[in-house]
Amino acid sequence: MEIPGGTCCAILGPTGAGKTSLLHCLSGIMRRHHPGAVSSGHLQIGERSFDELPAQILFPTVGLTLQDPHVQISSVRDTVFGEVLFTLENTGTVPENPTDVILPLLRNLGIDLLADRKPTSLSGGETQRVALATILIAQPPVLLLDEPATALDMAAQQKLRGILRSMKGKTTIVVTDTQLDFALGVCDQIVVLKEGAILFDGRPAAFLRRMQDFATALPLESWNHLKPELDEMLDDPSTRGSRITRALAIT
Amino acid sequence: MSARQNLPPKLAFVAFLWVCAFTLPWTIQAFLCLLLVLGRFTIPALRPGSSRAARAFSRFILYSIAVATLVSLLNAVLIREGAIVGNIFGISLHQEGLLFGARTASRLLLLSFSILLFFVSTPLPDFIQYLQEKGLPPYLALLLLLTLHFLDQLPNRIHQIFLAQQARGAPVDSGMISRTKALFSILSPLVLSSIVESIERGTALELRGFLHRPQASQPVEQGRSHTYWLTVLVLSLAIVILSYSIVKWLIG
Repeated sequence: MEIPGGTCCAILGPTGAGKTSLLHCLSGIMRRHHPGAVSSGHLQIGERSFDELPAQILFPTVGLTLQDPHVQISSVRDTVFGEVLFTLENTGTVPENPTDVILPLLRNLGIDLLADRKPTSLSGGETQRVALATILIAQPPVLLLDEPATALDMAAQQKLRGILRSMKGKTTIVVTDTQLDFALGVCDQIVVLKEGAILFDGRPAAFLRRMQDFATALPLESWNHLKPELDEMLDDPSTRGSRITRALAIT
Repeated sequence: MSARQNLPPKLAFVAFLWVCAFTLPWTIQAFLCLLLVLGRFTIPALRPGSSRAARAFSRFILYSIAVATLVSLLNAVLIREGAIVGNIFGISLHQEGLLFGARTASRLLLLSFSILLFFVSTPLPDFIQYLQEKGLPPYLALLLLLTLHFLDQLPNRIHQIFLAQQARGAPVDSGMISRTKALFSILSPLVLSSIVESIERGTALELRGFLHRPQASQPVEQGRSHTYWLTVLVLSLAIVILSYSIVKWLIG
């Protein structure tokens, strides 16, 4: 499996397919916590190559947000601002004036008004964005997001899609999801997993043409509402981006 | 004065109270307990951080005093030495037993009140940050953080599991025996969910580089602050009391 730098890849698959395990392997947490769980593998991130999967946490090269954003909040700091600053303290890269770095990021994520709020008192969507900020502040070249859209309402999903789109080109993003809507709105590559094996790896358009092949691996019934728009999109690949956006807006 | 600046004298104060709990007569220990309860209302640095913490501390005081009284009375009944100081339902209370019970109870009360008051009046983030600045290894900081977070969330979590079990029809609020039986249905999800959350929280902290954070540099102090001298004074007092007790014990 190869993900070109600066692009966004969606890992789709049913529960238990190995999506989260894959992200844990890529971040280094898998071999660190379960040394015997992975017998072999090779990973290359840019110039950095690992003959075996890494046994140490690759942060800040690789940033991972977990499925439950609430556990990502450390509770070590009283405010959202402090929580984000905590990551910079961990990496030893606190600038002279942290506000200059943290506030623009919070503004980008639409949570600058929450800067002084207690991180444990936020809603699911807000917590998700704070969790993302705690990772993004370290500017990881590779960003792994484990089902980031699960706890979000449609408006928050739309916002997150916008954020990820704006990061493409500078950051390589890998997103796991069970929802097609979110993945299609932002990703350049789709990988379908089932029981740890790759069933498909390719462009979204190619995936849509072969979607029915994955009937046993993916919740196709719940994606039927997208079909008319997606069919139209496939007829004219040149307008793919805008039509996908339209399709998603309808949902 | 910020909560973090208060920490060194507060820690010294707890150390002083622990020394007192093992060296001074029980009457002074009981008096110190009383001062602590009053200090919770009057000394800003000892005020609980939230109304929830204040309620928990008040409830703990009430339960502790009830238990201490019970311990003293039981000792007065069971240790039949010294003069009879009273009768309850025809059962004699003996002076030596009562004193032994009072000594044990006042010591336990002072130990528990001091440590509890420290934690209810100290924000967890400040405490962890302070320890890290003082060079606490990240692994220990992580362990402490997860433990304190678990304790902090415990009442909330018990309440949630209690409600969930109630919604499933478990007889969690119908009499003492039913409640005791239902305790098992609360305990297992409580323990399991706590373990899972602690692992995930620890993983999340690792994923943010917590275990590899550079040693925090201590802020350069401009001269000696009030808190520094207060800390020195309280610790000196503790050392004097401890030394006096050791010398007294050696002389016999």
